[in-house]
Amino acid sequence: MRDLMHKAEIQQLVRDAYAAIQFPAAAGAVLYSREQLGQLPPGAHEWSLGVGNPVAWAALRPGEVVLDLGCGGGIDTILAARAVHPGGRAVGLDLLPEMLQRAGEHAADAGLDNVEFIEGEMEAIPLPDATVDVVVSNGVVNLSARKTRVFHELARVLRSGGRTSLTDVIVDDHLPTEILTHPSAWAG
Amino acid sequence: MSGALAERVFVEKLGRVGLRDVTVVERRSWGIDDCARYPLFDSELLRLMRRLVPPAAHDRVATVVTFTARKP
Repeated sequence: MRDLMHKAEIQQLVRDAYAAIQFPAAAGAVLYSREQLGQLPPGAHEWSLGVGNPVAWAALRPGEVVLDLGCGGGIDTILAARAVHPGGRAVGLDLLPEMLQRAGEHAADAGLDNVEFIEGEMEAIPLPDATVDVVVSNGVVNLSARKTRVFHELARVLRSGGRTSLTDVIVDDHLPTEILTHPSAWAG
Repeated sequence: MSGALAERVFVEKLGRVGLRDVTVVERRSWGIDDCARYPLFDSELLRLMRRLVPPAAHDRVATVVTFTARKP
């Protein structure tokens, strides 16, 4: 059994796993309301890999700036962009160029002009301090091997009075070592 | 899943970076069948989970939690 605790190795493993996904997946589409799914362009829900619905809990308001950490196919970014219109904008951040390209296509298909997608790591968010009103993420914090850094970064980019809505997988009970050290369990 | 934090640790980390009013607004059990919907869990891992996790816990190998917080 391999021990995959090395940070760079974990990041590469996650990157490779996401790059290899055969879409359509639509794994997380059941987690959205009918109204939310209706706000997405055709086919976008098939790129849903989230584990929850953080935008639904974010209480977004027109005019706000939202950052979607690990935006993937851009589902939550698009929903956020619609919620902060008019006057606001949504920024999707992801590590994978292929995900960002698809997310950009989805936003274009949705006819949105208040969305931006940027490539980068959630451990080093390429945004200035105190420029974001709300940070959302959907099942991605657990993928980081440097979570403390992720939390520092999201706090850094938030404005005073800013908010977060973070959905993630939580493991409180002890799972067998054979499961937790399986390479697939680092990306899933 | 291997990198998932415990709920208590997640809350502590949010507080440690200065966020306040950390609140769990949603908590949902996450089972092996949920994992199986995602292409990120390969078949070998799913088989391992079904074999090693007691059947009574197959529907709750993890929890999906939504946290909200604010920056003062």
